[in-house]
Amino acid sequence: MEYVVKTKGLTKNFGKEKPVTGLDMKIPKGEVYGFLGPNGAGKTTTIRMLLGLMKPTTGTIHIFQKDLRKERVNILKRVGSLVENPSYYPHLTAYENLEALRKILGVPKKKIYEVLEIVRLSDVANKKVKGFSLGMKQRLGIAASLLNNPELLILDEPTNGLDPSGIIEIRQLIKRLPAEYGMTILISSHLLSEIDQMATTVGIVTNGKMIFQDSIEVMRMLSQQKISLKVNNSEQAWRSLLAKGIKADYKDDTVLLSEHSNKKIAEAVRTLVQDGFSIYRVEEEKRSLEDIFLQMTRGGKEG
Amino acid sequence: MIKKLLSSDFLKIKRKGFWFLTFLGPFGVVALQMVNYGVRKDYLLQQSDNDWDYYLLNVSTFTPLALVLGIVILTSFMASLENETNAWKQLISLPVSKMSVYLSKFTVLAFLLLISSFILMLFTLAYGVFLDLGEEISYFELFKFSFYPYFAGLPILALQLWIATVSQNQGIPITIGILGVIFTYSAFILPDWMIWKWPSLINEWNEPIINVLLGIGVGCLLYIVGMFDFTRRDVK
Repeated sequence: MEYVVKTKGLTKNFGKEKPVTGLDMKIPKGEVYGFLGPNGAGKTTTIRMLLGLMKPTTGTIHIFQKDLRKERVNILKRVGSLVENPSYYPHLTAYENLEALRKILGVPKKKIYEVLEIVRLSDVANKKVKGFSLGMKQRLGIAASLLNNPELLILDEPTNGLDPSGIIEIRQLIKRLPAEYGMTILISSHLLSEIDQMATTVGIVTNGKMIFQDSIEVMRMLSQQKISLKVNNSEQAWRSLLAKGIKADYKDDTVLLSEHSNKKIAEAVRTLVQDGFSIYRVEEEKRSLEDIFLQMTRGGKEG
Repeated sequence: MIKKLLSSDFLKIKRKGFWFLTFLGPFGVVALQMVNYGVRKDYLLQQSDNDWDYYLLNVSTFTPLALVLGIVILTSFMASLENETNAWKQLISLPVSKMSVYLSKFTVLAFLLLISSFILMLFTLAYGVFLDLGEEISYFELFKFSFYPYFAGLPILALQLWIATVSQNQGIPITIGILGVIFTYSAFILPDWMIWKWPSLINEWNEPIINVLLGIGVGCLLYIVGMFDFTRRDVK
């Protein structure tokens, strides 16, 4: 598979602090990669290293199959980014802010109007950014990141400070970009619900370590509901279910049914009753993505 | 690359008072002599045989002070431009080398100060002519007192820019800057090796050109040290 971003053993130390340790990140082309983790997990430090703002203590970064250490400028020509809080020059207008970046990027002037249109700031193009709301500044930051038609777009918490309609707008924009422009997007967040609605691939980081990295489908599989049965003799009950051809798991003294339909559950219960087991409880075990996320990140802390 | 950065930097300094300060500095220096000569012209004219040279000497008393003050304020402005919303991270994640970012900042400041020196020369000449100090205008002295302090002050510019760009806290460059202004003010009693003495063009050999050459040499050195330190550091 072609990876747009590939890091190997990425580590950053600030003295005794180790915000990122041995991080391996792989972002396939054309994906929206959700980079997920609690606050302070090392997301922003990782992103800063990807942009060459910080030098890794050890480890390598390859973007577009090129070594970031050797070809930083060539790589960054094809990357757009928004890191943490938006940066801007308050005494300049929105247009001038973008112009200051455009001059460096060397793209045509009409691109400024184009990106202002995308983030719906055309009306305030000639107003000073000083008076903008946080949401408008954030949108200006996104506009800036799109100026050079990037192949890789890196957005660090892009919906921070936006109101619900702003969040939806940005979400739709982010979903649209890979399809329309063939962009690969790295988007970080501490909110799973956020990532859940946009990402196609997920990487979960906690305490500077990548603890999960796969497609969102695999993660959803983990969240599938299960019906748990508490029975007086679970192990035997499980065996007797299997003997009847009903799919079930046995774990922690409970029987878990992977089938969800009412009919199948009724069948399983009937079987067990007929076989003389006492059924104490039939429960639905709901595991939301949030639960999984929390469980994973907690697990990381213990380890 | 550097051309693009420069045009971007010149756009960023709009409406921030950079150009105003560039004009204000030399104007202030000459304005002091306007007061001086306005109040006691006759007395001053009696003080020497060559009225032009004496006038230029008077003007040049305040040039180093204005220059060093200007350097401190402009470098601090320049750094605060990027520090204010931490625009460094946005700037450095563009396809530019950190060295050229630093060079561009330095070039803009050096250019503004050069313009300042040029305006100083024009103002000095204009007021001198207005005072009617005689036909014999010492153009070389005029040039010397306008531009020598600039070159002799380059190490201070390089030092202040270095400190201002790498300090998270702008209090540090301002404090060092104010100390520098005080040093410049007391140039007479400073040893020759201190960079803050150089813009006053004083040295034990009485050869101002030594200060100019030292300024350019040490200025380049401090610039290179500052640039490498800036490149080496992580961007916050």
